[in-house]
Amino acid sequence: MLDLLWNGLVNVAHWKYLVPLFAGTLIGVIGGSLPGVTITMTVIVVLPFTYGLDPLAGLAAMTGVYVGGSTGGLIACCLLGIPGSPASIATTFDGFPMARNGEPGRAIWLGVWASVWGGLLGALFLVFLTGPLAAIALEFGPWEYFSLFVLAMAMVAGLGESSLLKGLISTAIGLLITVVGHDPIGSVPRFTFGSTFIGGGFPFLPVLIGVFAFAQIMTDLEKLNSPRGEALQSLANVRLERFSHLKVNLEIFRQPFLLAWSTIVGLIIGILPAIGGSASSVMAYDQAKKFSRTPDRFGKGHPEGIIASEASNNANVSGSLMTIMAFGIPGDAVTAVMLGAMTIHGIQSGPLFISQNPDIAYGIYAAYILAHPCMLLICLALMPLMLRVTSVRMAVLAPVVLVLCVVGAYALNNTMQSVYVLLLFGVVGYVLVKLGFPLAPLILGLILGDQIEINLVRAIMTDANPWLFLTRPISGLLLLAAAGSVALAVWQHWRHQNRVAEEAPDF
Amino acid sequence: MSIGRDGIAGLILLAISLFLLVKSFQLPSLPIVPVGPGFYPAIVLSLMATASALLVLQDLLKRRAPAGAVAAPRRNYRRVLIAFAIVGAYVVLLPLLGFRVATALFVGALQAALDRPRTVRQWVVLAAIAFGTAVVSYFVFERYLLVLLPRGAWTGF
Amino acid sequence: MARTLVMAGAAALAGVLAALSTPAMAQYPDRPIKMIVPWAAGGDTDNIFRPFAAELQKHIGQPVVVANVSGASGTTGAREAKAAAPDGYTIYAVHDYIHLTFYAGISDVKYSDFEPICLVSATPSVLTASAKTPWKNWQELADDAKKRPGEITVGATLGSTSHIFPAMIEKAAGVKFKFVSYDGLAPRMNALLGGHINLTDSNLTQKGKVEAGLLRYIAIASEKRDPEAPDVPTLKELGMNIVYEVARGIFVPKGTPAPVRAKLEESCAKATKEPSFAQAMKVQGTRVAFLNANDYAQFLAKIDNENKVVMTDLGLIKK
Repeated sequence: MLDLLWNGLVNVAHWKYLVPLFAGTLIGVIGGSLPGVTITMTVIVVLPFTYGLDPLAGLAAMTGVYVGGSTGGLIACCLLGIPGSPASIATTFDGFPMARNGEPGRAIWLGVWASVWGGLLGALFLVFLTGPLAAIALEFGPWEYFSLFVLAMAMVAGLGESSLLKGLISTAIGLLITVVGHDPIGSVPRFTFGSTFIGGGFPFLPVLIGVFAFAQIMTDLEKLNSPRGEALQSLANVRLERFSHLKVNLEIFRQPFLLAWSTIVGLIIGILPAIGGSASSVMAYDQAKKFSRTPDRFGKGHPEGIIASEASNNANVSGSLMTIMAFGIPGDAVTAVMLGAMTIHGIQSGPLFISQNPDIAYGIYAAYILAHPCMLLICLALMPLMLRVTSVRMAVLAPVVLVLCVVGAYALNNTMQSVYVLLLFGVVGYVLVKLGFPLAPLILGLILGDQIEINLVRAIMTDANPWLFLTRPISGLLLLAAAGSVALAVWQHWRHQNRVAEEAPDF
Repeated sequence: MSIGRDGIAGLILLAISLFLLVKSFQLPSLPIVPVGPGFYPAIVLSLMATASALLVLQDLLKRRAPAGAVAAPRRNYRRVLIAFAIVGAYVVLLPLLGFRVATALFVGALQAALDRPRTVRQWVVLAAIAFGTAVVSYFVFERYLLVLLPRGAWTGF
Repeated sequence: MARTLVMAGAAALAGVLAALSTPAMAQYPDRPIKMIVPWAAGGDTDNIFRPFAAELQKHIGQPVVVANVSGASGTTGAREAKAAAPDGYTIYAVHDYIHLTFYAGISDVKYSDFEPICLVSATPSVLTASAKTPWKNWQELADDAKKRPGEITVGATLGSTSHIFPAMIEKAAGVKFKFVSYDGLAPRMNALLGGHINLTDSNLTQKGKVEAGLLRYIAIASEKRDPEAPDVPTLKELGMNIVYEVARGIFVPKGTPAPVRAKLEESCAKATKEPSFAQAMKVQGTRVAFLNANDYAQFLAKIDNENKVVMTDLGLIKK
């Protein structure tokens, strides 16, 4: 096995593969860092260029895009407070405050290094556990998926700083958005009120970009002229402070458990089809907060939050690669495109893939591993250029970012419909933020909504017995964990309130 | 006992969820699917209605700090309204004028609204940025990335 | 003053930009052509039309850009294609779902809202069983199905080709299946591998998994056995008169000028004759099946009628 991996590395360390790998990683980092351009879109854009290459070269380029994109997102997170790609949502929570506190360099490089280490740790699993781990994912029927999603939402509903209830409502709003449009089972229009505009439903990405980008840009605009606004604006002109990479790395390795656990969370979510990088980033963040000795500091520029989010979203890539390689089942839209590229090159994906095409399989492992140093090099070389993007005045930056958001929404489906959805949810997101509702639960509800419904209905269609959700062992355990997670959040919240009451008795 | 911001938000959400809950019971079901298309929305809406009702209750029972105790930073909501209006106009004009023209106008207009240039030189910079954004994004996306951007129904461009 | 200056400047800018654009229809095609694929990237339809787009581009002399306009069982893309300008710069990659979604009442877009250009390919459906089921062949499956009516689970996109095909078998063999909603081939394969469903409609792209013993092909719905899988019997051999192939072709919006359609048809004919395209289709479990615009129109009318009959028989029809 190790000699196969060595052969793979030697194989890929050839200009024929290194050039597409490097180019892919570069495009990935840039695509990931532009808000409104997702990894999926970047990989789709790269796809036509890979037709002319040999299969491994094309796959290496796509692996590079995937790895680069998963990292690139953090730059916009830290400097603009907008996720550059959905996979780095949770990086915004602490990366942006840290940058505003005057440490943008620390925020970015913590993220980049956490990505590198999370990704490389994920590679270990990728190489050694592809077979056994993916076998577990295959045992997941609709009951297990349903329970897993319930667990994911229960965990994130407790993420909200202000109120558990608001987190819950936010989740419900996210779920409700996915209900609108044709139902996923029988295509019955729901809550469309006869309008063809709503009839197509609200596509995920325009809603996500709208909610996040608009809420952020508009709140920035309203502060533009106030005394505090000047301070915020000046973030755009800040240069990375002097700091040492060694120190950042020490900071990451001081908490090996955090790094390892975030990696594993990302990996597991990557292995399970249908949930992607965005869920892994949010869940790893939540886990980090739950296990942390200093949960109060999360959301205020805590390094742990950045490490958790970034390590997990890169490890998520290795998890998705595992599923696609062991079963030929795409775990998300990016690997779906990779699978398409494989079939176009005449490679049969599936359980025989690794044994029949060892050079390609191990070539992909090698490309995944080598993509990380490439990504690091690109970040080191390009960071000054990337920072330039944010040294632009808000009056210039806001329109340009909004144009990118519009293009991103439009290009997703090539319809104006998505752009209208973008604008609608821009308003919704802004209003929700103004009312103090957290956005992360909404996003998770949005990501999982369709899947929860489909799996719930599938389970009922397969067997009408509702107790199966509890009596099937994996499903039962997951639901138990969900209940436990809610109870823990309620308890923490209650304890916190009591403490506040003690400190300020006569409010 | 008085109602606050949360209470009003809760009431609105409660009204929406109850209205849609009624709608969800009216959805037609399919012969081959044991639960109708209204089954899952009803669960979600019940959850939302319950949580909203609790939010209203929580808000009503909350003891409030005397008004004006916290000095809120001055926020410029007028600017936000103008920005939303300009984005709205952009979205409407995009399929009519085409991507290149609409984008140049939008970038110019929003810049001017956020930070009005005072000298001719600043106006030139503004126009250059507007024009540049439209041209560069067009070339990058349409020519290089092969994303076909909207063409204008009025301009054919 | 400054404001009027800006307005004037903007108007002038708009004028210059408009003047720069070339007058339409100088010589079709003089700019990239958008091909609407109404399903997600990486799906089987996408996998068939992407290599086709590459071949078409070679012969038409302009980039052919695939635009995945997915959603609502493919009807979002259909609506978009119908609403597009009939100038030949938007072409629509279609398959049999267009008939089914219309009759199921999911969409009001009908095949006759378009002008057919050419038929490109045909993919025979294969009835596929999970390796966790006991059946080695059709006979064992049929016997078991008769003993346990309504208990054998079939994964299908409800109201689409993967639903119609097993339903036709249900009718021909006099058995009753239980349908479970699984949209798209990839999720169905996942569920089939895990044993969460018993049967599904698939195609020859799944050959690798069958050879590994993870799935079983029960029967193929083509006229003759396929050389790629010679051991798989046809439904005709098994006494059921069912041939079910997913036919994929190219449409343009109604009102597209005849010279433009002729140019597209000619390029399509050349593209489908490329040996590299045949090779690409082979790995998709698909055969190249070119029909010119006239023949394709007749074929569509025939298929539309057949689908209407099947949907009526199954009680799925709403129109």
